[in-house]
Amino acid sequence: MSVNTFESMGTVISIRLAPDVDTEAPDAARAIAPAHALADIRRVFDDLDRRFSLYDPASELSLIADGSLPLSGSSPEMRGAYADALGWRERTNGAFTPHRPDGVLDLSGLVKSVAIERAGRVLERHGHRVFSINAGGDILTGGVPRESAWITGITDAGDRTGLLTQVTLSPGWPAVATSGSAERGNHIWLRPDTDRSFRQATVIAESIVTADVLATAIIAGGQTTLDHVTDRFPVAVLVQLAGGALLANPAFRALIVRRPDGRQSLDLTTEPSHDDAAPSPVPESPERPA
Amino acid sequence: MIRTNRVGVDPVAHVAEPARRFLWRQRRADALEGLSWFSFAVVLALFLADGGWTYFTNIRDLATGTGIVAGLIGSNLLLVMLLLAARLPVVDRAIGYDRALAAHRRLGKPVLYLILAHLMLLLIGYGLALGRDPVAQAIAMITTMPDLPQAFIALAILVLVVLTSLVIVRHKLPYLGWYGVHLLTYAAVLLALPHQFGQGELFAVGTWARWYWLTLYVGTLAAVLGYRFLIPLARNLRHQLRVAEVRAEAPGVVSVVMTGHHLDKLAAHGGQFFGWRFWSPGLHLEAHPYSLSEAPNGQSLRITVRQLGDGSHRLLSVRPGARVFFEGPYGLFTAAARTTGHTVLIGAGIGITPIRALLEDIDTPSGGLTVILRGDDEEHLYLRREVEEICGRIGARLEVLVGLPPHQGRTWLPSAEFAAGQTISTLAPDIPDVDLFICGPKPWAELVVRDARAAGVPRHRIHAERFDW
Amino acid sequence: MRRSSTAIVGVGSAAVLVAGWLAGSARFTTDLPVAPATQLPIAEKTPPPTDAGTSPLPTPTEAAPVVVAFNGPVIETKYGSVQVQVVLTDGAITDAIALTLTDSSETSVEVSARAAPILREEVLAAQSAGVSNVTGATYTTQAYLSSVQSALDAAGFMG
Repeated sequence: MSVNTFESMGTVISIRLAPDVDTEAPDAARAIAPAHALADIRRVFDDLDRRFSLYDPASELSLIADGSLPLSGSSPEMRGAYADALGWRERTNGAFTPHRPDGVLDLSGLVKSVAIERAGRVLERHGHRVFSINAGGDILTGGVPRESAWITGITDAGDRTGLLTQVTLSPGWPAVATSGSAERGNHIWLRPDTDRSFRQATVIAESIVTADVLATAIIAGGQTTLDHVTDRFPVAVLVQLAGGALLANPAFRALIVRRPDGRQSLDLTTEPSHDDAAPSPVPESPERPA
Repeated sequence: MIRTNRVGVDPVAHVAEPARRFLWRQRRADALEGLSWFSFAVVLALFLADGGWTYFTNIRDLATGTGIVAGLIGSNLLLVMLLLAARLPVVDRAIGYDRALAAHRRLGKPVLYLILAHLMLLLIGYGLALGRDPVAQAIAMITTMPDLPQAFIALAILVLVVLTSLVIVRHKLPYLGWYGVHLLTYAAVLLALPHQFGQGELFAVGTWARWYWLTLYVGTLAAVLGYRFLIPLARNLRHQLRVAEVRAEAPGVVSVVMTGHHLDKLAAHGGQFFGWRFWSPGLHLEAHPYSLSEAPNGQSLRITVRQLGDGSHRLLSVRPGARVFFEGPYGLFTAAARTTGHTVLIGAGIGITPIRALLEDIDTPSGGLTVILRGDDEEHLYLRREVEEICGRIGARLEVLVGLPPHQGRTWLPSAEFAAGQTISTLAPDIPDVDLFICGPKPWAELVVRDARAAGVPRHRIHAERFDW
Repeated sequence: MRRSSTAIVGVGSAAVLVAGWLAGSARFTTDLPVAPATQLPIAEKTPPPTDAGTSPLPTPTEAAPVVVAFNGPVIETKYGSVQVQVVLTDGAITDAIALTLTDSSETSVEVSARAAPILREEVLAAQSAGVSNVTGATYTTQAYLSSVQSALDAAGFMG
């Protein structure tokens, strides 16, 4: 087992690879040296970052944002990402949007989960079946480690160094993403009876993009979107409110690690029927540092 | 509330015209004032419509709710303040530039107190909700919330602006320094905007309230931009004012005559003033308000200036040909402000010069026109010859009062006249049925106003030009 | 201002304020009873935590009067298809129940899948469990250094 980290997209990507490589895979030989896979993954992140970063004034998205490049003249990849983002906007009733409040097209956030998804495919191509990719707190896992499980901690929005709970990721529920108004303090200016005091939303789903988009949408859309998401998507959701109270749907309850020995108590019957039509891109807008 | 039982006592037929004008002006002033009050009702209504009352259903949120209301009222008041200083023609015609600026100044402190209350109450309210003390809450807000650091900077600027404005009143700060700080107000307004739209639920995306509030801000800033910067710029480009002549009137007093293009199209009247900026070394940084000392004749404009403060002495060094940048005309100190047919003009010292200009525009000497000039000695009766010449031509009574006031007794008269029992009524027999125009040093003018009020001249017929900014 | 102007402005302002008040109370009394600020609004709408998987749909009103229930047609909406059962009590609609609700990919929707309040004690696991990854609101490069994840990575912890 190895742990590798590198920096990209303004955060740290940490990748865990289990040694149990599928020796029958055609790429088995290369898997012995994970360096190849890691280099490929790095390229995936850096390429996407270069294209979609709003911090780099020369990136394609920056050119679109400042008006020097019309969206209609952008690369197919850019237009595809935009179309996917619009698709998500439709599906979240507008809670997720590819535009910043000031109207600037911002696909930079959602690109991260696209990168994670691609990185997962790269690993599989290299013969790695058991892995986890954690990019700034958004995690995709593959397979199940032989001796243990992909136990994943969810941080407490009120105390960044503490864990709220732990869940088990598995091939049925391989991806988790968390979005927060965290330090934004969305409690500010809210009515006492408002339901928008969502501080942090964690979504576990079959696809990292779905998880990321829906977590972002729940924070943006509040209770209405939360209900919409749990009604229509096979996802597990945990929401932490500004006051610290928690909301969870039944799917999430089932994923909580119950026993102190770290063994999961996952009830596989709750595995959702996955929506294969889940589109590819679109995560959240740049979050502030915790 | 202005009420008088004495309107229409004058038999002269053409009085109807000034009286109607006065009524219109009063209506316009009422409409503007009413609109301002109404805007406060609207913003409170928006707050209520958004469920604002739920803040007041429990103790804990009381501070938060009150804080939000304070912020809303304070911001609205700040916009009213900006509009008062924006040189809007509609405001100038209704209440006059000087009264608008006086109101502007009066609002400064209330705005600051409201915004400070906004901050304090929200710190307490949120602190209570989160179990933090206000200081910790402030730190948390600044360090973790977007848009909040800007809002805190905006408040700091506001404090600075109000402080410097209090100091400038005591003439302890150079005009230029104060002006520079004052311009920062616009930065403060802009800096405070994001947190109103970004952090506030009331003005959330997709709400009517957001559009209303945005319109209010955009409208105000556009008015400021237009009337304080763009329109003056366009007028200057059109009229191309230059100094034609600089003439010494008395020791330390000069008349500056300016010519330019299309001056007949410049709708200025005797008694009005402009902000002048002479494009000459040491002068161009400051705009100074000086009244015209001659009614505009379509060919030239003239001001007469006595050396006083920061830049006025340098006017002596202005050379013909120098470019002049102007803002204006401003002010209600014009013949159009009359409400009756009888007019009394009283000017002292350099205050004679606007009286001189106004005199030319008074077209109804038949209804009675008395001019009273006042100076500590003959030398201070600036432009006396010109005033005598005009009075002779149009048949106006002229009283010239020369000499120092008595050591005892507060009066605007010289000691000789005071001792002889002269009063405003003996000097102008048609008092109280007159429109009284007063221009001179503020303490002196206040004494004239006091006597006129005592003699029965209603407040709305006393037109005192204020020179105190 | 003159008295008449003051009166006009006063009446106008009062009218606007009353309108605002009415709009506000209409909005917040119909669906959200004024609740103590600490009470979660969601508690009203969702089944209790123990009743996780099988919260039943509301059943038609049982009453002495004539109750008729019939199913409406399946309606295609932007977000999926909907079929509604309408309950008539003495000829008046007393209830409308969503029978089927599917999203655009034809997955039927379970209303009982909604999120409900959950106690912290319920989610607490032993902190010694072998955590390999930590999810939280996105951390930046800088924030990473002080994150739990950073410590896990440094230890090469696999869980």
